[in-house]
Amino acid sequence: MKNRLRVLRAELDWSQADLAQRLGVSRQTVNAIETGKYDPSLPLAFSLARTFKRRIEEIFEAEPRQKVGG
Amino acid sequence: MSDAPPEHNPTQAPVEPLYTHPASPFMRTESNLPPMVAGSPGPTPPAMQVQSTWVTYRSQIEIGLALLAYMMLLIGSVTLLRANPQASWRYVVAVVPVLPAALVVFLFVRRLSQTDELQKRIQTEAFAFALGGTALLTFTYGFLEGAGMPHLNWTFILPLIAGLWGIGTAIFTFRYR
Repeated sequence: MKNRLRVLRAELDWSQADLAQRLGVSRQTVNAIETGKYDPSLPLAFSLARTFKRRIEEIFEAEPRQKVGG
Repeated sequence: MSDAPPEHNPTQAPVEPLYTHPASPFMRTESNLPPMVAGSPGPTPPAMQVQSTWVTYRSQIEIGLALLAYMMLLIGSVTLLRANPQASWRYVVAVVPVLPAALVVFLFVRRLSQTDELQKRIQTEAFAFALGGTALLTFTYGFLEGAGMPHLNWTFILPLIAGLWGIGTAIFTFRYR
């Protein structure tokens, strides 16, 4: 799933480790979400939205006719 | 250009070492802050909290100690049984190593439930890989045994599962990189 995580993170000058610590997940998880290799669970997506003070739709962008699970 | 080495100037202050102590698992090694330059604010302290070895590797240490206890009790139990093969308590002594083994299972499951969602997914996929691989290999060898290959002991199955699980963890960790 496409996302703007890298841009949002750069705006705040946070490293992947900083964001991971705020979310309570590992740095590998942040990296996998950023590169689009892993889609976060709904709770984690909401906690991302809260961390960046944005709506989920402003962070993630569903591609049309996307394969589920990818 | 001369090849002479630079002159040693005893009035010059020695170069500061990068860290206050050598690397150590017991002591936090602080970096020596660079000297302040007039007019510029000092470097901001790191926001990340550095945690001790015990906090970071707690479950690994616990599982390691439980495995050590298992091996010690196993060796002790086997030694005792070899010396007293007819003792009335031999069955009790034979199953004693199961206790630390159960502790390993408990600690492992607790560790797994504490990991984050991506790690859980990686572990699920690695277990599926280990289960499928073990099923295929044991079935294959079962057919080969039917055709006349020598009979193998059941105890080979656990190391096979563990090995395939390790390979699976490596594969699926790499896939989410």
